Amino acid sequence: MTEARQNAGMKPYIVVWMGLILIVAIEVWLTYQHLPAGRLLASLLVLAFIGAALGAMYFMHLRYERASLSWSLIPYLIFALVMMDHVWPDAFRLMHQRLSAP
Amino acid sequence: MGESAMTMGIRPGALTEPSPYGIQSKKLAIWLFIIADAATFGAVLFAYGYLRVANPNWTRPFEFWPTIANGIAMTVALLTSSLAMMGAVQSAQAGRKSPSLRWLGMTIALGLVFVLLLVREWSAMIGAGWRLSQNPQGGSVLFGATFFGITGLHLLHVICGVVAIAVIAIGFDRNRLDAGHVETTALYWHFLTLVQMFVFPLVYLMNVR
Repeated sequence: MTEARQNAGMKPYIVVWMGLILIVAIEVWLTYQHLPAGRLLASLLVLAFIGAALGAMYFMHLRYERASLSWSLIPYLIFALVMMDHVWPDAFRLMHQRLSAP
Repeated sequence: MGESAMTMGIRPGALTEPSPYGIQSKKLAIWLFIIADAATFGAVLFAYGYLRVANPNWTRPFEFWPTIANGIAMTVALLTSSLAMMGAVQSAQAGRKSPSLRWLGMTIALGLVFVLLLVREWSAMIGAGWRLSQNPQGGSVLFGATFFGITGLHLLHVICGVVAIAVIAIGFDRNRLDAGHVETTALYWHFLTLVQMFVFPLVYLMNVR
């Protein structure tokens, strides 16, 4: 696996780096398009996850490792992040109540 | 295998079995740390999201100049440092020590650029009256707490990363450490870049005026 990476040289990493720079540029451009906040947040999150996936697959070499490594690590992180989602109903409740500051 | 291990029921050869993942134990260890740390950053970003949604008078103070431009420069610096780190790993694995050390030096320099840019950002905000519990624009005071908290946690990680890379570079130069150590440190550094891919849009761009 290491040999395969070395044969490829720096070229794939430079391409990924350019892709990540492009993602940042698109994010900034989207921010100034005056989209509704929810749509802007969704767009930025999708782009951030694409960037993170590119970085993990190529810079962090998950693409070149055995699939068992990804299957052993990623589901735990997803599970932890999904479990954190229980806060949103309360956040939206407070938003709709529009409580004023004491 | 020692007699005590045999009597404890460990089968012969168990300690020399190859990794089921085909990687060195230090690499697996840093992956476990990264997953745990990703959950930590996930938790602080979720807390920020909760506070942002729940506070009707949330402040959106950032202008393109200087804050967003500064954020873009910080993100590009970290992304480029990750590319430099790739050069260091490739050179180390190919047994080319001098180029690897030069790439590591470039990674450290770009990491320091990130630190200086963030410190400059903090100085400007503190000069404008922002504190952990003060909002000079009159909105929710939690903006300062979340901004300084999240960027501060990331800053601390980057400073630790710069120190770690410097230590690894010195060890690699003196032949005390090998290419595996460079690659393991690179995994941690790339993780910090990926964190910035979330911090920049969520904490900076979502707070543009």
